[in-house]
Amino acid sequence: MSGTTTSNAKSGKRLGTGFLLYAGFAPLLFVILLVINIYLNPARFSPAAWGTLIGLAAPLIGAAIASTPAILGGRGGIDISVGPLMGFVNAVVVLVFIQMLGITSPFIIVPAALLTGLAGGVVNGFLAAVLRIQPIVATLGTYLVLLGVTLTILPSPSGTVPPWLTQLAGTWAILPLGGVLLAWWLICRLPYHGQLMAVGSDDRAAYTAGIPVTKVRFLSFAITGVFAGAAGLMLTALIGSADPAVGPTYTLIAISAVALGGVSLAGGRGGVIGAAIGAIDIFLLQSALTYLNVSTFILQISYGAILVIAIMLTAVQERLIGSGRAGASK
Amino acid sequence: MNRLTTDQQRALGALLIALALHLFGTVMIEGYGSAFSLRAMLVLASLLALASVGQTLVIILGGIDMSIPFVIGFANVIAAQLYGDGMSFWLVCLIVLSLATLIGALNGTISGGLGIHPLIVTLGIGTIIQGAVLLWTAGFPSGSAPPAISDFVSIGGSAMGLPVPGIVPSLVVVAIAITLLLARTPYGRRVYAVGSNQRAAVLALISPLGMWTLTFAISAFFAAVTGILLLGFTGSAYAEVGQPYLFQTIAAVVIGGTALVGGRGSFLGTVAGALVLTELNTLLIGFGLKPSVVQAALGLVIILLVSLYARDPHVRTRI
Repeated sequence: MSGTTTSNAKSGKRLGTGFLLYAGFAPLLFVILLVINIYLNPARFSPAAWGTLIGLAAPLIGAAIASTPAILGGRGGIDISVGPLMGFVNAVVVLVFIQMLGITSPFIIVPAALLTGLAGGVVNGFLAAVLRIQPIVATLGTYLVLLGVTLTILPSPSGTVPPWLTQLAGTWAILPLGGVLLAWWLICRLPYHGQLMAVGSDDRAAYTAGIPVTKVRFLSFAITGVFAGAAGLMLTALIGSADPAVGPTYTLIAISAVALGGVSLAGGRGGVIGAAIGAIDIFLLQSALTYLNVSTFILQISYGAILVIAIMLTAVQERLIGSGRAGASK
Repeated sequence: MNRLTTDQQRALGALLIALALHLFGTVMIEGYGSAFSLRAMLVLASLLALASVGQTLVIILGGIDMSIPFVIGFANVIAAQLYGDGMSFWLVCLIVLSLATLIGALNGTISGGLGIHPLIVTLGIGTIIQGAVLLWTAGFPSGSAPPAISDFVSIGGSAMGLPVPGIVPSLVVVAIAITLLLARTPYGRRVYAVGSNQRAAVLALISPLGMWTLTFAISAFFAAVTGILLLGFTGSAYAEVGQPYLFQTIAAVVIGGTALVGGRGSFLGTVAGALVLTELNTLLIGFGLKPSVVQAALGLVIILLVSLYARDPHVRTRI
């Protein structure tokens, strides 16, 4: 019984549908919240408004996806600098490329945003995987540095963005998210994905099996960086300017989304689809409560409560599956 | 034995760095070594160290407590509100500390009992607590602290003939008590045992759930004490007063040489770590840097310090 469950989960993951098995209650919550939202506010959720809606949710989804690879690598792997990195990318794109250099071509700005993200990820990867500073502290360091640098070059919101970038939060909002998901899908085709999951589950066993643990972890932070660059671009598209205050707010909410989406913070279990659904859940919850015009305090309480309840239910569910397995093996 | 010496080395290393920073500041900045500035730094470091008591215990246990800033804000606002309503201050403290302890116990029970990563649980519970506090006070907390509390943390205050306010000698007492608790009691041994290897601890008849509940409750208790003292320090209630402590408590613990993987560390190290952070912050502000530059420099120095002596071992050494 347990063997079938596991192999189903594996083949399911290959087909891209496995998230139902590991994403816990996030998909169920997604359906419930979507129905509530459509009932409350049909106009906002009509197909004509999907572009704007996706654009609105994109930075949070992007931040959650970006947070995932570093967490999958295990042994406390986490990148709390994702939010500030998004803010830094936002500032660099608008201030340096658009305002100072006058570049508006997407063929320069998109790679520049991704490379800026990559640079941040490489630094984090070097600190956390090569120097082996505990990831939460290493990325706390880069969190403070990125926040400080962003505020120094951009003390207050300013700047504008070219029309094509604004459209990435409107009509073409699906493109950047689709690009990130496609990139992760391709990564899942590579042996690297299996190595990352193995390192995340048990780095000692993975090391004994000849997997280059340090390299795998380093790359996970680099991928997180690139995705954070993409999320920074989505943020830029949404706010249409440079704002030093917005980026950092995404860090903790993105990590909550990741956990809600069934990604184990201990590493080795979960994937970006789950993280994305977790993020959409939080977005839909905010959307419904905002529509109901409840105070932000109640919004905060419900968000915390749903987070805690959902992860508790997921843990109970895992327990039940786990005890079933233990029984079968006896 | 070996573990203790490593911890002591790391705590001593952090203390030496704090002293070096202080000497550097005294030479470079006029008035840095003055009695007033020294007192101010001691008070700030004491508050940080007090907030980090729980973080140290929880991290040795193998967890992490992200709810500390929220519990600080909770205690700060509720204490001010209740005291402002004319309640006796001792009763206020009793209510606030009991409620905080319950919140902490809930954190520990959920994460320990269901095996959920405490980062998410404490973050979620903390968010709920903060929302509830803001809802109760409608976002505008009122009230203040009794004069005794303000004197206890006032930079110009003095206690028992010492030229420092009561919080500084009290912290010394707390530090000795926590160190003895960790080194000389069954509770301390169990914290290290669960943190090193939870499954082995179960075989030694230790209940991890009980330890998680108790330790997170202690963490919230000290966070609430810090929240009440901060009320005296700042003079008015503010729900976000604890926010700087979210990452600072973790940084103080790690600079003090406690490993985030659990099973190793000391509170004396954390006290040294709190001193290092306070010295650094004061030094950077003393150089007249903008707050944003101070932040960036603080980030760099944390990375530098931790890479010097608090690195994790390579995976090949753990097989």
